[in-house]
Amino acid sequence: MDISPILDGFGVVLEPANLLYCLIGVIIGMLIGVLPGLGPGATIAILLPITYGIGPVSAIIMLAGIFYGAQYGGTITSVLLRLPGEASSVVTVFDGFALAKQGRAGTALGIAAIGSFVGGTVSILALTLVAPVVAGFALDFGPPEYAALGILGVLLISSVGNGNRLKAIIAACVGLLLATVGRDTFTGAERFTFGSLNLAEGIDFIPIAMGLFGLSEILYNLEERHNQVHSPAKVGNVWPSRKDLGQAKGAIGRGSLIGFVLGVLPGGGAVLSSLAAYALEKRRAKQPERFGRGAVEGVAAPETANNAAATSSFIPLLTLGIPANATMALIFGALLIQGIQPGPQLVTEHPDVFWGVINSMYIGNILLLIMSIPMVGVFVRILRVRPAILAPITVLITLLGAYTVNNSAYDIYLVIVFGVLGYLMKKFGFEPGPLVLAFVLGSMIENSSRQSLLIFGGDPAGFLTRPISGTVLALVVIVAAWPLIRKALRRKTPDRVEEKIT
Amino acid sequence: MSPPDPTRPDPTRPEPDPPGAPPLDDADVLQAEADRLQAELEEARPPHAGPYAQLGAAVVALAAGVFGVVVSSTLGLGRLTQPGPGLWPFAISVIIIVLSATLAFTGRGLQDTERFSRSSLLTVVGLVTLVGLASLLPVIGFEIPSLLLMFVWLRWLGRESWRSSIVISVGAVAAFYVLFVLLLQIPLPRLI
Amino acid sequence: MTILVGYLPTPEGEAAVDAGLREGRLRGERVIIVNSPRRGAPVDERKISDAAGTELLRRAREAGVDAELRQPLHDDDLPGTFEELIRECGGTLIVIGLRHRSLVGKFILGSEAQRILMEASVPVLSVKAPAVRAEL
Repeated sequence: MDISPILDGFGVVLEPANLLYCLIGVIIGMLIGVLPGLGPGATIAILLPITYGIGPVSAIIMLAGIFYGAQYGGTITSVLLRLPGEASSVVTVFDGFALAKQGRAGTALGIAAIGSFVGGTVSILALTLVAPVVAGFALDFGPPEYAALGILGVLLISSVGNGNRLKAIIAACVGLLLATVGRDTFTGAERFTFGSLNLAEGIDFIPIAMGLFGLSEILYNLEERHNQVHSPAKVGNVWPSRKDLGQAKGAIGRGSLIGFVLGVLPGGGAVLSSLAAYALEKRRAKQPERFGRGAVEGVAAPETANNAAATSSFIPLLTLGIPANATMALIFGALLIQGIQPGPQLVTEHPDVFWGVINSMYIGNILLLIMSIPMVGVFVRILRVRPAILAPITVLITLLGAYTVNNSAYDIYLVIVFGVLGYLMKKFGFEPGPLVLAFVLGSMIENSSRQSLLIFGGDPAGFLTRPISGTVLALVVIVAAWPLIRKALRRKTPDRVEEKIT
Repeated sequence: MSPPDPTRPDPTRPEPDPPGAPPLDDADVLQAEADRLQAELEEARPPHAGPYAQLGAAVVALAAGVFGVVVSSTLGLGRLTQPGPGLWPFAISVIIIVLSATLAFTGRGLQDTERFSRSSLLTVVGLVTLVGLASLLPVIGFEIPSLLLMFVWLRWLGRESWRSSIVISVGAVAAFYVLFVLLLQIPLPRLI
Repeated sequence: MTILVGYLPTPEGEAAVDAGLREGRLRGERVIIVNSPRRGAPVDERKISDAAGTELLRRAREAGVDAELRQPLHDDDLPGTFEELIRECGGTLIVIGLRHRSLVGKFILGSEAQRILMEASVPVLSVKAPAVRAEL
């Protein structure tokens, strides 16, 4: 393997400007991870206009920093307040909060930070080795493969996310439909434009993402009742003792592995892997009853796994051009804006982006380790800020940012429209994530399926006879029918299910 | 939470793990614990809205699908050998129609909607200020509309005191001015 | 009848509790220690932990006073929160600690204590923190 592009990547990262953006990214990530309310998706969406101002590499380094920084930050509230900042930190609550009640909050946070660092770093190393191989494999992919992969990606995100599956797929289809607005690339016909010049260019990704992820979340949070106020928690000594580290060692190792593997899967990799890692540790433990009462492994395993998964979820994006989750969809969009098509060609055509982003994660994880062990007290203080003060500031950043993209108020209105749509979707139980993801992939899926039909001479059976697209489409069918399959399997083996419950 | 009903999917529960994931023996127990925590967190949210809201949501989705079918069929579907511009949107719209019809029939018992409450008025007020900002911004610059938006959000949506609302909104807009206009030199419309 | 004591974990708050407990024993009235955090933020340093609350109640028991701890949330209307408690429990007296603040500080931050003094419907006993706390 030729390592010179990897080393060049370090050169890119170590440029002072990029180091600064990495630092800014991870600090913002930590902050919003600690603060309840705005998640990393919303934050990245709101900051998308920045990508116009700074170069693609710097922008993606910063946005990625926000993404994995939030994984570190989410731990703090789980441990101290029993309030998971992120879905992937939910299981951390069980043992983390128990430890905090015993006055060992510092130990929990320290172990979580070290686990996150190890998990993240192991995952980056694996990513460095695996990603170019996957990308090389995918180089032969033609339009049929991409069409099939795109459909699989959309379907998986809709299936694995929170909430009702039917609603998620409907939302995804609406996203696909929105992607068709504008001039058709094949025939030049105007679709769904209704004579509007603004719509003829199609709908930009930025206002959709800012509205559906950013503004909708702010509007939705306005209705939150804040009836819980906690007294300040003492963090104490954050350096875990040798004994704690010894206890957590195995959990951290296994968590890294589980996180890396599950993170590659599109969908809720980070959430799923934290659950899986916790369950595995509990099953392996000599005294499983310690779990839930302050077991160090119960903090180490899920935190390691969710960070490893957050890192490895970059693989499908950087190698196949298929975002694995909603946040990756945003980064995908940010790259497209810069005229960079994420996919197998990325590693050869834009090695600076590819290796720059990957290598920045080493630096980011080191920065996060520094920030979350000695500086944890600083971030805990953020919890005293009232969301009511932050909300209008975020709104202003969103709207003014939207304006700066094209210097037009039209974009602000667009953000507002999609903000309302996202708010209503949340109120009626539809996740905006699948819609945004499908919108991002929409034109790719349409173009490649139409190209494929031309290749096949109009015979859709061609999708099934090619080995890779056929396999992927078979997976699509399995995923689509998974609830039915699962039900059938359960009915056949009722004994095993009962055994599980007791 | 109501006891799980095996005939319908539980909305708060993520769908089963995708194929390929290792089997999780304790996952069900763990999921139940996570659900309990989730339910506790959701106490801060309004209660669920009942079957009519579900039906309404499905009907709106259905209408979007019908609209898509109508518009895309006027665009021309073409043939599979020569797909027209309307074929792809047509196919998606048909899927939307099928799925939302299914949702209308099966989804009435779901509990994932939220009732609109008095606090939803806050969202409406917030929305009005957003539209106000968007319409005033090109006319009189960003300073005054931003100041007004900040103040309304702090004083009436956030129930801050008069004093801190004024201080924070003035401070924030001044900070925006320094950051956006003086330091980053972003071309925002300005008062002067 | 009840005495309401405004308590924050500061020297002024301690002084208020001392004065409130003395007053409670003198009048033979029940004391409600009011520790009201601001609604909104996940953490408010004014809210005391359960352990600190137990300690306050222990102090009251030692002083021979029947005491209770309440921790209602308030928005920007702390005097209103006190008024509600007065109506609910038949309050006869409010005890609060005052802290010295410069004019500018008062203008920017406002003073909850001052508003209670002005708006309360029952007599208010205000105490200062001792320069050097002798007892406690």
